[in-house]
Parts: sequence; C-alpha cells; structure tokens
Amino acid sequence: MVEAFHSAVKDLVRQRFAAAGGDWASFVFEGAQKISAQDFAAIDRRILELGHRYEWSAQVSVAERPAAYKPAQGLTDDLTNFSFEHAEAIVAPVDAEGWEQRGVGDNVVPFDAMLVGTARYVRSSAMVLDYLTRGVPSGTIAIIDDSGGTLTAPILEQFKGVLCAGGTVRSHLGILTREYGIPCFMNAKISGIREGDTVRLETTARAKTAEAYQQGREMIARVWRLAK
Amino acid sequence: MALGEVNTSMPPSRITYPQLLETNALIQQLTDESYWLCVTRTVQESKLFPVSPYMLLSYFMAFYRYPELVRKVDRHLPAEQIGDRMRNMGIKCANPAMGWGLPSFYLLGREYMINLGLLRPQDALDDLIDVMDFWKRFQLGWHRNDGHLANSNYGHRAQILPERRLQVFHADMYECRHGDALHNAAQAFMAAASQYGFLISCESRISLCNSGPYKLSDTREMIVRDYMDLSESDFPWLDEVARDLPYNNLTVPMVVEGCHIYLMDDWGSFESEPEFKSHHMVGVGLYTSDTLSEGYLPVAMGSREELTNALTDLTGKIKLATSRLWKRIAGWTRDQMIDAGAITYFAIAKDIAHVAGCYEVEDWMMVDERAERFRPLLNDEYANALLGELVGTMTNPSQRMSEYSMMMHADTPTRMYSHIPYAVLDGGDFTRTVGPLRPGASHLAPKQDRYTTSQGVLSLAEYNRRAREFTPEVCGPRFRHLCETWLKYHHRSPLAHELYCLEQRHSRKLAGRGAGLSRADIEGLRDRAVD
Repeated sequence: MVEAFHSAVKDLVRQRFAAAGGDWASFVFEGAQKISAQDFAAIDRRILELGHRYEWSAQVSVAERPAAYKPAQGLTDDLTNFSFEHAEAIVAPVDAEGWEQRGVGDNVVPFDAMLVGTARYVRSSAMVLDYLTRGVPSGTIAIIDDSGGTLTAPILEQFKGVLCAGGTVRSHLGILTREYGIPCFMNAKISGIREGDTVRLETTARAKTAEAYQQGREMIARVWRLAK
Repeated sequence: MALGEVNTSMPPSRITYPQLLETNALIQQLTDESYWLCVTRTVQESKLFPVSPYMLLSYFMAFYRYPELVRKVDRHLPAEQIGDRMRNMGIKCANPAMGWGLPSFYLLGREYMINLGLLRPQDALDDLIDVMDFWKRFQLGWHRNDGHLANSNYGHRAQILPERRLQVFHADMYECRHGDALHNAAQAFMAAASQYGFLISCESRISLCNSGPYKLSDTREMIVRDYMDLSESDFPWLDEVARDLPYNNLTVPMVVEGCHIYLMDDWGSFESEPEFKSHHMVGVGLYTSDTLSEGYLPVAMGSREELTNALTDLTGKIKLATSRLWKRIAGWTRDQMIDAGAITYFAIAKDIAHVAGCYEVEDWMMVDERAERFRPLLNDEYANALLGELVGTMTNPSQRMSEYSMMMHADTPTRMYSHIPYAVLDGGDFTRTVGPLRPGASHLAPKQDRYTTSQGVLSLAEYNRRAREFTPEVCGPRFRHLCETWLKYHHRSPLAHELYCLEQRHSRKLAGRGAGLSRADIEGLRDRAVD
C-alpha cells in the first residue's frame, strides 16, 4: 500500500519536475506546490479502480465512503451471530466447573480476585449513545476493539471490566481503566465469545511490563466463557 | 546558479560545520528517543477518530508552518526565556509538547516529504536549523535545574522545578489514604480529567503531563501532574461545552509511598516499581497556572474539606463537559475529525505563542493550504501502514542505513530522521526555506473569541496584550538568574529570602518564611491528620 502510493506520487513529481524545465531549487517549493489535491485524488481513484478496497480503522471513514472501504461487520445492533475470532486465541476444553478457555490478554493491573461478568460488545458510537441514553447494564464486561480512550468515554466508568482486542497496557484505554480501577485486559486474543455470554477474566495475573513488550515476551492472563 | 543561492531575499549563508554537527546531533537524539517512545509506550488507535490520517496531516502542517511560527515567537520572546517561564507553570509547553512534539512533528513531516520525492535531506536547511535551535534553547532553559536537554538524557527523569516551589507543594499538600474522602475525590478527579483530556485532544495524550519524581523521604516521592486546555480557550470544539470549567489548566502534585517512579518519559508518562496503584497515593494538592499568573496559584487549598469538595465539584463539571463534547464529536464528519486531530497535534506547542503574546487563531488553528492538498491520500489503510513504517519498522528508503549500522534500542540499520549531508558546505546544493505562512482553513466551527485565563475570560487581543506586558516576578531581571547553585551559597541573603517569599505568598504553611528551610523542616510543618 505504502509503496503503491509513494511510487505514484514520485512519478507525478518526476513528471512535473521535467515539465517545469528548471532546476530542483526553483521547483521544490514553487513548482511542486502546484501538485494539487486533485492530483492526489486521482492517485486514490486509480488504486480503487484496480479493485482494492481499504481496511478501515475509524467508523466514520467507512460510513462516508462505503465503496472505498471493506465492509464493516459487527457494528449494528444485531450482534446475535457476531464474535471476535483471533487466529492466535489460546483455547482449552471445558473444565470441571464448566469454564472453557476462549483466549488470553495482557492484564493492566492485578486484582485480588478473578472477575466474572456478562460480555457485551461496544464497537460503535451508536452503541455508546444507546448505552449513554439507557444506562449500561450492571455486570457488563465490555468487549471493545478500540484501544483508545474516546469512543467509550462517556460510559467507561460504568463497565465492570473491559476486554480490549487491541493496544497494550500503556494504550489510552489501559491508562484510563487503571485510573478508574476497572479490571482490563488489553491486546485480548479471543474467540467464540458472544453477546451475553458469562465470562471470567484472570485478573489476578501479573500486569504485563514495559520490558516484556520491548523484549517481545508474553505475559498472558486467561479468559474463559461459561459453557452453554 | 548554485541551489543555495536561489532565494535572493535570504541573507548570505550562515550555515557552518559546527552548526550542522549540532543540528544532526539533535536530530539523532530525537531519532533514538522517538523510536523508543513509539515502540514501547503505546499503540494509539481509535474507532472514533481517524488517528493515523490526522497525524500524517499534522506532520505536513508542522513542516510547512513551524519554522515561521518559531521565528515569530522567538522575535517576541526568545526560546530560552520561554523555557524559564515554563519552570513556573503547568501549561502546554512541557511534555509531550516541547520535549518531543515540536521537533519530532517537524522531522516526521520532513521525512515523509523526502519519501514522497518532494524533498531532499538538504532542502529547507534554514528551517530545519531554526526549529532545532529553538527547541534546544527552550529545552535547556526549561530543564535548567536538572541540567539536561530532555528527560531521556536524564535516564527518563524530569526534575524541572526549583526547591522553593517544591517546598510549597510539599508543605501545603494534604495527606490522604485509600478509601478516605479526599483520596476518593482526588482519584475520581484524575480519572475523569484524564479521560476528558484524551477526548479534548482527539485521542492523544497531549492534554496530560507528568513530571518529576522528587524525593520527599526514603519511602516517598512526588510527581507533578498537569491537566491542560480544559476550558474554553484555543480549541474551537470546546466553545460552550467547556464553559462551566473555571480553570484552563490544573496541576496536581501527588505523593506516592512505597512506589518508586523509575521512568518519566518525554511524553510525560511514567513507570513505577511496583506498579502504581491508587493506594500508593498518600498526599495531594491542587493548583492552577497560566501565562498570566504569578506561578502556581492554589485552588481550594485552604482546608482538606475545601479541597475535597472542589475536586468533587470539578469532577462533576468535567463529566458533564465530557458527555457534551463526546456528543458533538460523534456528529462530526471525517474531515472535521481529521482537522481537529491534526490541529491538536500541530498546535501541540501553541502555548509558546501565548507566553510570547503573539498567538493568532490563523497561525495555530488552521490547516495550511500546502498541507491540505495531501488529504485525498490519507485513507485509513495507507495512513496506518505508512505511520507504522515511519516510526516503527523504519522501512522507508530514506530511513535505511548501511548494513553495518545498529540503531539505538533497535540494533537495526535504520535512522528515523535523515541527517543533513555535510557536503552542503562545499557545493551550496541546498535550499533554505519553505517560505512564509500561506493561508489555512478548517472544516470546524469558527473559534469564539473567549479565552479562559487566570485573569478571567478574555478576548484574544486582550489576552495577547496582557501576555506581552506581563513578566512573572521570578522571571524578571532581579531574580531570573538566581539559580539553585546561587541559592546554595546565598540562601541566607536578603535577596534569597525575597525570592522564596515571592513563591510562598499564597502558601498556607510557608508564607513569609523565606529561604533556608530543609526538607525535614518542611515535613515538620505539614498538616498530619487524615480523615
């Protein structure tokens, strides 16, 4: 992706430089300035005409240009059949107490006891607005794929726990849950957890350290689902 | 014609070998630290904001505008004097604003342009040298007490404040314990203010800054946490929604016990051993400050109850502002989100212009037309991928080094920011500057002319006028050069007494006591009782 865009821009610069006919010094901050938004938009158009569709990271991007981005899933109210499916989720069979391991995460802060609650996906501003209006059900362990601190800002304090599918314990969501005293796993690699499932988090596990991230060393905490 | 001679309006070349050596050393320092920060400190993303697109746009804005803006500020008040002022207040001239953001955003824009084929490492050299020089002088002034260029040079520590200020924070703060009313109020305030800060700053952490630690005893350390740009001031998106917040900047000195702060980075975040938890906080205070204040002014520090109530009241106001702001942002278009984020990043160092009394909305709150044209490139996927290459893998062609090279912290043959080639001294094959500011625009609502300051809500013209006419007494000619080393040998002098009394004038415990008190003396004067 980067190479495709940069090659196209460099081609454009070469063409305009050649057409300008002067030296680089006379071109770099004057002639090059004439390369316009329309020129860059044409590069974007050519990439899309080749059939490529962009990965989206902000919902507003796919909402405003649905034809340019890959479709968004799991953002509507109907979450019946939706679940995060991480390829590296560590799973294990159901134990004697009925808990089935469905993944792992990086613990932000250790607590004295495990955390049990109800899984609820929170993935869009529409969902946040709905919870803001109706209130967050008690016992909610929010499953979020946004490691930022803004999407869930007005309702974060109401969560019993957080499972975040991205980021690190130093991400903004990790910082905020630590400040609020809310148990949280970042970088959660989970599979098969559906809306409304009862989940258990190994919040007694050690917090993942900066050194562990720098050295690429795993310090994992487990996530279970109560078998149905 | 040699390339360096193209702009005839510029003065003759003043670029020297020592100058290039120093500039490249500063670039290298920022290369090393930026990589470490970006890899170890965070993965910043958001489903609400197009973060990577707005970051990239801000880098273009920084590249085109910072050189002229720092020259403008420097003409009003030299960088090192702004650094001096910053030791007396908690505004957005600290970290990550000046310690990292200003030079790094400029360098990231430059590196990005090089990899688009729109620039060479020897282009815009006057701009590059001026930005780095401004940064260096500011940092050296700001860090005068600890004697380092940046936290990274101090093994990630920031002992910015003079003893006289630390003594006031130490003496006046209230003890608290996990579960008591003040502790609960302080914890709730800091959580809400941190969250609000992320929202104000469009998912970035630049409204928050920690500094320190300072040693209070064998088991206690103090860190100083600043919350900045909370009220109606520079950001148009805070107009009306933040009107109830009476302070634009709040500073919380916080004592931790049984917890060593072993790392304070140039983004203003910290690490501790053991991991900091709320029960480690055993003391707290609250202050406000800005360009127009005589240092830090106490907020509700008259009694424990007054402070508890004030923190609770502020928490409620912050939560209300958070809810209002979130609803406003949730209704924004992508262009508005990108503008707000890019402006937040680009304007990370805007407060240098407030200190100098030359702040203009058109300078800091607009997207320069030269940057704006790149917007069609900035889809989410490309922006995420490029940002990852630019600050993580460093796989852009300009960032690759000889295979013998081993970059600090990475051991890879990479360099985040290109050095200036020394051969420019021989052939003159370089260019000097991107030129003067060009017009800018924004998709956001126009800024209302209301600026919350320690002297009330002012118009911008009035704010600038007062800033130009104001010099804090401790930064005036009588006291400016009375540093910690001078005080070591003159603490019994009338002048030292006067200087300490200035700092102590609003102190509940130290007013009028002057210089010469030891840390143990201060500890002995403190209020002891907890709830």
